[in-house]
Amino acid sequence: MSEIDMAVIKPEMMKPYIWLETSDGSIQQVEQEIAMYCPLICKEIIQKGMGSSKNCAICLPQRVSPATLSLILDYCRFHQVPGRSNKERKSYDEKFVRMDTKRLCELTSAADSLQLKPLVDLTSRALARIIEGKSPEEIREIFHLPDDLTEEEKLEPLKNTTDDPRIRLLNRLYAKKRKELKERERLKSVEVEEEHIDKRSVDDLLSFINGNEDQKGIKTSKNKKKNRRKKEQHQKNSSLKEASGVNKKEVNGQNIRPPNSEADIIAETSISHTEDVFAHKEFDDGDIDDGIDPALKEKIDREVEDFARRLNSDWPERMQELLSSGQERKTMLFSPNGNSFLRRNA
Amino acid sequence: MQRMAYTFSFPEEVLEHVFSFIESERDRNAISLVCKSWYEIERWCRRNVFVGNCYAVSPVMVIKRFPELRSIALKGKPHFADFNLVPEGWGGYVCPWIAAMACAFPCLEEIRLKRMVITDESLELIAKSFKNFKVLVLTSCEGFTTDGLAAIAANCRNLKELDLQESEVDDLSGHWLSHFPDSYTSLVSLNISCLGNEVSLSALERLLGRCPNLRTLRLNRAVPLDRLPNLLRRCPQLVELGTGVYSTEMRPEVFSNLEAAFSGCKQLKSLSGFWDVLPSYLPAVYPICSRLTSLNLSYAIIQSPDLIKLISQCPNLLRLWVLDYIEDAGLYNLAASCKDLRELRVFPSDPFGLEPNVALTEKGLVSVSEGCPRLQSVLYFCRQMSNAALFTIAQNRPNLTRFRLCIIEPRTPDYLTHEPLDSGFGAIVEHCKDLQRLSLSGLLTDRVFEYIGTYGKKLEMLSVAFAGESDLGLHHVLSGCDNLRKLEIRDCPFGDKALLANAAKLETMRSLWMSSCSVSYGACKLLGQKMPRLNVEVIDERGPPDSRPDDCAVEKLYIYRTVAGPRLDMPGFVWTMEDNSSLRLE
Repeated sequence: MSEIDMAVIKPEMMKPYIWLETSDGSIQQVEQEIAMYCPLICKEIIQKGMGSSKNCAICLPQRVSPATLSLILDYCRFHQVPGRSNKERKSYDEKFVRMDTKRLCELTSAADSLQLKPLVDLTSRALARIIEGKSPEEIREIFHLPDDLTEEEKLEPLKNTTDDPRIRLLNRLYAKKRKELKERERLKSVEVEEEHIDKRSVDDLLSFINGNEDQKGIKTSKNKKKNRRKKEQHQKNSSLKEASGVNKKEVNGQNIRPPNSEADIIAETSISHTEDVFAHKEFDDGDIDDGIDPALKEKIDREVEDFARRLNSDWPERMQELLSSGQERKTMLFSPNGNSFLRRNA
Repeated sequence: MQRMAYTFSFPEEVLEHVFSFIESERDRNAISLVCKSWYEIERWCRRNVFVGNCYAVSPVMVIKRFPELRSIALKGKPHFADFNLVPEGWGGYVCPWIAAMACAFPCLEEIRLKRMVITDESLELIAKSFKNFKVLVLTSCEGFTTDGLAAIAANCRNLKELDLQESEVDDLSGHWLSHFPDSYTSLVSLNISCLGNEVSLSALERLLGRCPNLRTLRLNRAVPLDRLPNLLRRCPQLVELGTGVYSTEMRPEVFSNLEAAFSGCKQLKSLSGFWDVLPSYLPAVYPICSRLTSLNLSYAIIQSPDLIKLISQCPNLLRLWVLDYIEDAGLYNLAASCKDLRELRVFPSDPFGLEPNVALTEKGLVSVSEGCPRLQSVLYFCRQMSNAALFTIAQNRPNLTRFRLCIIEPRTPDYLTHEPLDSGFGAIVEHCKDLQRLSLSGLLTDRVFEYIGTYGKKLEMLSVAFAGESDLGLHHVLSGCDNLRKLEIRDCPFGDKALLANAAKLETMRSLWMSSCSVSYGACKLLGQKMPRLNVEVIDERGPPDSRPDDCAVEKLYIYRTVAGPRLDMPGFVWTMEDNSSLRLE
């Protein structure tokens, strides 16, 4: 209220007013009853005798801007009336905190500086609700927070496996096979075809993993990249060794990893391959090479091929084996412990 | 052009205060990854930590990061341990945790363990080290005796909760209960249902009488029915009760005494126990049935008509655990009476019998799915199922979050069409978009896994047994289920290819269990070499895998992500794959 307005009001309606000065230097008059709702202001009035005139206006903390003060006073004006029911107060509070996050933060800060605990609680809860259910990126965005955790500390969620080109190719392959299967279903019996398709998809898998035939295009690019990589391979091998060295130290629990790296493990979220542990991103676009030393990779390729060959040759026998062992254990879908007790909390 | 953080003016206490309203693990973890200052503030005010796999991280790491913990929950053995698939002595020892925390967290108040091994020494250490210890929950744990419990009772002045759900306790004597001093009055929850011996009933009566805040009491079988009224009279404020044996000589005064005692418990909402039920005593609980929200009759051998009489009196039931004696007729009645039902578990009364002993089929589950609109969680053991029934269930209840179907005989096809149950389960994952947990059974091809990979986007836990035809199946799941955390597989023809191709996925999950599958030792070694942040454990009771060719399939495989490296407490039949030979216990 300005001083001019004040002059017009009838004397009997005059309530005691006190003077408050906000962070920007502006001074205003506020009904004492309402302002006293803030413990800090209350102390200033009672203990220090401040606020009775413009000259001894109570200096509010830095964190209280005029706009925020106005909000706080609205809050106090409502709540300092004794007659209100809990339901009314709750309803007011719910509407009161509906504002943009920036203002909500300013309000929380201001309320804290004025020691107005009920409002601090209210705004804190509102902020908590904003934070709940969001990802770290979203939270950073909302609150304009810096992205300052280092590469070692911060863990990007591991990209889901659909990013892996091997998986993508596999999926395409299977989609193709499914289509063929559907067409054949119209003509022939299903069982025979499924078996047939299965065998071929295993072969395809192999050829895909080993980079043959229909993957020509990828193969050449892979070779190109292989050559480029040979130079870098040397450094990468040493950093890989370093990484596994770090791991070994872990065994004794002595060397603790950089703080956040275990956060996610404890936290049950995805963990990443940081740039330091793996020399480069594990699955680059269009490259099947996963960064293993070429000699080792060839060894792995040979091993996979070996396994697959053996698997294919005795697949029918293996299936029989599995099925017959399944028959023996037929009644052991779940085998309880010695007391023949099936856990209820399982 | 750096923009100013909205919270720049917040003193730390204010941010801490905001964080104090955020309790879920996921949210706390998100907060800690926002920025440096939030990471620091969050870690100092974190009071509660949940470690889903005790080997994923070391005690020292947890202590270092969260110096002000008040509460910790740890899980040890993989879930399939409940079905005896994890050999005795595999691990899950809590001792190093207790020892480390005893020094670091004098203010620790709560310890919750699941499937872990805890010794009397650890219990004694807990009793002596934590002055304000309040909550001890041991679910499916083992390795301790009633002596350890005596130490807890004697020393934990502020104990509120002692819960031994389904643990294996060496019950040396019932006198441990008398170790609660006369001055001890803070008990809120006591669950001793797993204990074999009688506890001292007079000590129990005195204990109940002096603990005015007691809400939960789960007795063991050895507590006779005729002593129950006296116990109940000491704690009429009980909210949850587990009876002891529920039969005795039929005498009218015992019955009326019991009925009166139950009537006196005006707050009672949950009942369990009911071992060896004498049906004529069931009506004693009728006075409180209308208030019941949870009923666990999974040990009660009561026939369908008696069950129907009981359940039809409980219109407010939210949770029912029952044996398959309930039969289709009983479930039909349940669907009609209990419209608010959220969770149903039907356990098998005779799982090893070759022929069905009860008239329980898929129809019972279908009727519940029709009649109970809020049904979210199902565990159902039965002997026959059809795709049509699964379709119906899926369409009736798209709000299902947990669906575990156990058709007792492995590889049982749709009993009407003799087809695999692929499309039925496919319908479940397609319609139930919030499905978090799924257990499969019956005859299943790779098709079902294709459906799961396509639709199971919120799926967190999948249990598979005797299903699938090739690596395709496993590949679908690992590549499609974005939120998969736990995968457990037994007796399926899944081999190396899908596992190796999806190796990166394994670091985004808590764990993978595969037993009696076709994963070769060579592939395990490869995986261990490639993925330093995974522990690849080969569990093989036939002897060292090195003594067999590389392409030989391993018996059991347990892969879990970890930042603590290979564990040091492995028994002789477990090998962790890595570059060097693994360390083991002798």
